[in-house]
Amino acid sequence: MSSIDPTEVFRQEASELFETLEGALLDLCQRPDDRELVDSAFRALHTIKGSGAMFGFDKVAAFTHEFETAFELVRKGEIKPTQELIAVALAAKDYIRALIEAPDGTDSIIGDAILDDLKQFVALPGEPAKPDVAEEAPAAKPAAHAGWRLYLEFDSHILCNGSNPLDLLDDLCKLGSCFAVPVIDGIPMLEELEPEYCYLKWDVTLHSDCDKAAIDDVFMFVEDEMKLTLTPLAAQAEVSLPEPGLLIELVEAEPIAEVAPVAEAVPAPVQAKEPAAKEVAAPAEQRRDEPKRSDEPKRSENIATVRVQAERLDELMDRVGELVIAQARLTQLAASGSDLSIKMIAEEIERLAASLRDTTMGARMVPIGSLFGRFRRLVHDLSRDLNKPVEFVTVGEDTELDKTMIECLADPLVHLIRNAIDHGIEDNDKRAAAGKTERGRIELTAVHSGAQVLVTVKDNGGGLNTARIRAKAEEQGLIAPSVALSDNEIHQFLFHPGFSTAQTISALSGRGVGMDVVKRTIENMRGSIDLTTRPGEGTTVTLRLPLTLAIIEGLLIRVGGGRYIIPLSAVEECVELMPEDQRSRGRNFLNVRGNLVPFLKLRELLVVPGSPDQHQKTIIISTGETRVGLVADQIIGNHQTVIKSLSKLHSDVTIFSGAAILGDGTAALILDVAQLVAAAQAQSEKQISEAA
Amino acid sequence: MATVLTVDDSPSIRQMIKVTLEPAGHSVIEAGDGAQGLAKAQSSRPDLVITDLNMPTMNGMELIRALRKQPTLTGLPIVFLTTESNDALKQEAKSAGATGWITKPFKPEQLLAVVSRLVRA
Amino acid sequence: MSNGHEQAQVQVQARIQAGSMQVVMIGLGEEKFALDAGLVREIIDPVPATMVAGAKSFVPGVINVRGNVIPLADLRIRFGMPVTEDSADTRIVVVELNIDNEPVLVGVIADKVYEVTEISQTDVQPTPRVGMHWKPEFIRFITKWREEFVIVPSMERILN
Repeated sequence: MSSIDPTEVFRQEASELFETLEGALLDLCQRPDDRELVDSAFRALHTIKGSGAMFGFDKVAAFTHEFETAFELVRKGEIKPTQELIAVALAAKDYIRALIEAPDGTDSIIGDAILDDLKQFVALPGEPAKPDVAEEAPAAKPAAHAGWRLYLEFDSHILCNGSNPLDLLDDLCKLGSCFAVPVIDGIPMLEELEPEYCYLKWDVTLHSDCDKAAIDDVFMFVEDEMKLTLTPLAAQAEVSLPEPGLLIELVEAEPIAEVAPVAEAVPAPVQAKEPAAKEVAAPAEQRRDEPKRSDEPKRSENIATVRVQAERLDELMDRVGELVIAQARLTQLAASGSDLSIKMIAEEIERLAASLRDTTMGARMVPIGSLFGRFRRLVHDLSRDLNKPVEFVTVGEDTELDKTMIECLADPLVHLIRNAIDHGIEDNDKRAAAGKTERGRIELTAVHSGAQVLVTVKDNGGGLNTARIRAKAEEQGLIAPSVALSDNEIHQFLFHPGFSTAQTISALSGRGVGMDVVKRTIENMRGSIDLTTRPGEGTTVTLRLPLTLAIIEGLLIRVGGGRYIIPLSAVEECVELMPEDQRSRGRNFLNVRGNLVPFLKLRELLVVPGSPDQHQKTIIISTGETRVGLVADQIIGNHQTVIKSLSKLHSDVTIFSGAAILGDGTAALILDVAQLVAAAQAQSEKQISEAA
Repeated sequence: MATVLTVDDSPSIRQMIKVTLEPAGHSVIEAGDGAQGLAKAQSSRPDLVITDLNMPTMNGMELIRALRKQPTLTGLPIVFLTTESNDALKQEAKSAGATGWITKPFKPEQLLAVVSRLVRA
Repeated sequence: MSNGHEQAQVQVQARIQAGSMQVVMIGLGEEKFALDAGLVREIIDPVPATMVAGAKSFVPGVINVRGNVIPLADLRIRFGMPVTEDSADTRIVVVELNIDNEPVLVGVIADKVYEVTEISQTDVQPTPRVGMHWKPEFIRFITKWREEFVIVPSMERILN
């Protein structure tokens, strides 16, 4: 359990603190008077500084200290958090982050420049206050002496505050041989006696050559709560120790108090202490807390969360996947047998496995809001750099996605947002001339829709210029001028590699390397991307994504002796293939309720030997705008399973997107329908040109 | 040997304390803020509380005062973490009822020393 | 996993320099191949393979090994040897190779697995340029074992 490197925990923690800090700073732009935001930012800075110093990030601690000082002034209300100050603060946050993530590559000149900027707002102290190194008072040269005589008087409250004079006496005894006599004249009568108060004083004789500093050290924590009188013992002084008998006499004289017998250490007689305080720490009560329990202080709902390492979730997912496979085989075995009780148990296990799988998949789900947060900064900076005031609205931050997908979505969304601001939202004058609102608006939404998640990036800018796209496409030789295309088809050219209609390539976008990569990334996630636009009103980019990448809901089919899986999301319907539909030449078409749907014979595409079954089935699938029928020998049924990726050695085979393990232990390949259709098209075109 | 309650909103500090004290035979309970710390002190009866001062919900100073108000926790040693030798802060914490302090950054040995000092077997 | 593989590679280099190398001796067609023992993860009985349409000829299918779907490689195809039916001796040798800096598990068909043995540097024969049915770059070196010529293949080059 404790094999986790605390420095790594610090890095993660720092990462979260940066998010908090950035969020608070950005919110401060809108609400400069919000005290809570200032406190939140201050706390984050303070923790980064303190923890940073703990884990050796000295530069971080020193730099952050300066910032903390500035924020202290804001907290006290002596400086107002202006936009400029916040901008400097954001720069500082980036610098600190860089110091933690890449300490060697980060130039301190940047930090110095930021501090200079900061000085405009804050009169910084001349030198950063160095964290106080515990300085030892220069030890007085220990004079040759035999020891010390101490008189200890403690505040009465000292026991309540957790200090124990007897422990302190023990510590003194470690310095040398010690003789302590309690002084009992301060003990009141019983009626006035407070059990929790300390009334005893001690007269201690310590034989030791230690210096005063060593004694001060013993009483370090309580020096303000006691009076210590020290007298060095003369070197030759013979201190006569009282006889034990004498002490016992004292005891008898004063029945209330007991006196410690002569000993090196002073054991515990009258403990004027609440007995309840110590004894109840029973081992049974000792709960070993889960090592990674942490509340979310930011959310007002205080949802209890547990931090789990990502690899563990992946492992869990793998185990659950294997369990599901084994359970499927059990079900198969049970079905083929006649033992009723085994069938019942198999059914029970199937139910439990499904429930476990759902729960585990749920554990991998992460709200997309964590991603959205990052974009606020992006929009803020872009808006400032391009001088286009932009309002950024997010909807559906709670919408959950598989954690693996969240990361894959980051880059595409960044690109889409950049595009929206750079190309979508018009310049201020253009907007004014068109009578539009002064601020542009970028709306980022995420919502569940059936078995999918829809993420949209919507801007209220000028919309896509269809004519210009068409012109560019013709210019690049992608279409002939005479060919008629729908607007939507023209817009698809934007996804062409290297395509860009930007008049000027800005530093941010327009180099045309983006949209095709975006499309490919989304399609690799088994998702799709769509554009809709209204000239003068804006553009909406819609991403459709499956809920999870790890598990596929598929239709299991048989072609010859092999079995394949078609993603259920692509399947529209299944029909019988009638003999009259089969043509031996030309294109194969199927009549489905009056519509002609082309079909592909999987036997041919997948090069399956042997002859087809008598009654073949056609599975009508759709990819984007295309509807195609796939002809197979048999439709076996629905199959839900964990996706296994194919190895590098098969990366060239694009018609399969992966494999799944069936109940009998064999592997079934998962068809990538888009690739399949494209491959078929390419094949038929080739046949046509060869025949020509 | 001792049950130590660490109260800090910084998971890395809590982790560091845990990683230092557990091999020495102590057991460590964690709390992320003052309110949690108060609850855990009451339920788990630790032998020692180590708390940061700067925390959300209930900060260290408030926690110290709250702990001292609990009659069942009288005499509980409370140590606070402080980043500088800020005397005013130390005084305030001590008046609130703290037993001792540790200055950040601290080395593991310093932490162990303070724990041994305040919790005797 | 790849770290272990790198270590194994280094060890093998060292041992070759030192004069010996541990290998798993297998039979394929008429020839004998010695597979670097450091690469071998396990040896299993044949399992039903799923053919992958459109794959390169020498990795015709995939098999399920402990829940992982790994490619099944037939070296006979790479070496232009005739492919024969499986026999009672047929086994699949699962090896871990380094392809493009990533560890990849591959199942290699073997007509027979003989033994794990050591081959020494002193027996290494230079790879002849002529009289070879197959490409010399597929072969690391040829050596002798029990009076027979044995090929030590270069697995990464063969399968890449």
